[in-house]
Amino acid sequence: MTIRVSSTVPSGADVVADIERRSGERVSACYQCGRCTSTCTGAFAFDYPPHRIMRMLQLGQVDEVLNSRTAQICYDCMTCSTRCPMNIDVANVIEHAKMIADERGIEGDEKEIRLFRLAFLKNVRRYGRLHEARLLTWINFRSFRPFNDISLIPLILRRKKIHIVPPRIKNRNEVHRIFREINGGDKPE
Amino acid sequence: MSDARKMSVAVKAGVEERNADERNDGSRNVVPRNDSYAYFPGCSLTSSAGEYDASFRLVAKELGIGLDEIPDWNCCGASPAPHHWGGNLGVLLPARNLHIAGYAHDAMVAPCAGCYNRHKNAQHELAGSEEIREQATRVLRQPVRYEIEILNLVELFDREVTPEALAERVQGRLAGLNFATYYGCLLTRPAKIMNFDNHRNPVSMKPLLMATGANADHFPFKSECCGSYMGLAHKEIVLRASRRIIDVADGLGFDAIVTACPLCHQNLDLRQGQINKAFGTNIEMPILYFSQVLGLALGLSADDLGIDSHIVSARKLLAKIGQGAADGDERSITTNNSQGIQKTAESGASSSNARVAGEG
Repeated sequence: MTIRVSSTVPSGADVVADIERRSGERVSACYQCGRCTSTCTGAFAFDYPPHRIMRMLQLGQVDEVLNSRTAQICYDCMTCSTRCPMNIDVANVIEHAKMIADERGIEGDEKEIRLFRLAFLKNVRRYGRLHEARLLTWINFRSFRPFNDISLIPLILRRKKIHIVPPRIKNRNEVHRIFREINGGDKPE
Repeated sequence: MSDARKMSVAVKAGVEERNADERNDGSRNVVPRNDSYAYFPGCSLTSSAGEYDASFRLVAKELGIGLDEIPDWNCCGASPAPHHWGGNLGVLLPARNLHIAGYAHDAMVAPCAGCYNRHKNAQHELAGSEEIREQATRVLRQPVRYEIEILNLVELFDREVTPEALAERVQGRLAGLNFATYYGCLLTRPAKIMNFDNHRNPVSMKPLLMATGANADHFPFKSECCGSYMGLAHKEIVLRASRRIIDVADGLGFDAIVTACPLCHQNLDLRQGQINKAFGTNIEMPILYFSQVLGLALGLSADDLGIDSHIVSARKLLAKIGQGAADGDERSITTNNSQGIQKTAESGASSSNARVAGEG
């Protein structure tokens, strides 16, 4: 086991304060009971389980948190937040870490999740609604796994669970304006 | 002219009228308020969860609940919007729907737990920040309306139907069944924003289910996560998380899991075969939508409610309540349904009409 010593404590404190301010949660209140981790459905796929993320933030190890797979993967089911005896919304803390990582342009290793979120939003930007068929095929090809979930396709088609023609809303301009308002209308990847 | 189109014309006319009126006396509520609910189907209900939409419309019609689809609604942004590009994308996308819905309605219903969650969250953010309200107003080019009451499907039925009235009407039609009530994450969390039911031990589905004559014993995994939208990027998370849920429900002898979320349904139903394969199990646990169960209780046909569009067959369950045959292969059930069920269903004619309306 390696023990990594972070050198980012001074600047880390600012980021932790920022997370606390934006999320409205008190990171310092965590006393490491580990209940969040015991209830987390994704912890086995994370590099740091939720209670360790809390501890790392308390210690100012911000770089590790922002670059962690946890911050990229966590899908915000909020089970940890429901169980916390100190009423800390742990998922909210992780979500704000994720947002800050995103603002800093930290991409991380979880390319496929990034790809999914991006593909989803581009799809919505284009049609105003989600076109599931396009999203699924696009993701499979972009992630170079064209046969991912191929076994589901006959099931989906047989049950007529998908639209071939994309749904479009009429006032797409308004939706485009929303996207422009957020990111200036450029095409962020 | 479809209802949605009628409404969008009405909205345009109304907006002009309202603008004129605001110039005169500044009053906002010049539109006659509407007793029916603004209905936000959401993307899933228009495609992969079409049976949720169809069964919801049918049951609402049967119970005399008026639904007006929000004209030209857009995707709420789901989970990716707040998780990507930071900013307030996850607030502004739902804000447009709230704004349109609030024009003529005091309450809206979003049966998809994800949409319900995003809209309520957006409302909370809008109420709490002048800056976000300004942003929304800039995008919509009108002062944003966001105060509309947002209900999920369970909440709506709870309000519109008392368990006593339902029990009276259905006469124990679903007696002998035992449903696992599964709430998942997004209906109740985060508790301080959703403000719905008990977020640690939600119970809101139970009274109406019990009123159908069925049982709804305690399901310990009722608020566990199914793995959310990780199906594409991290399938192993979904398979593991969903397996625990169906495994426990199976072990406790439930007839079906009842859910009110299309994504939970997708993970538990569509991927049940993958789960069985990955873990060497042989579970066959039907996953039903809350609206489908109420529909069955009201005597609507399983066919119209879209129960045969699920991957895991519910034929054993249907046989228990006298709909469909217990054995025979799936295909024969599906084709027989249209004739066989019509005979047993008391409201076969009205429900097939409503189905056309549901598809329109």
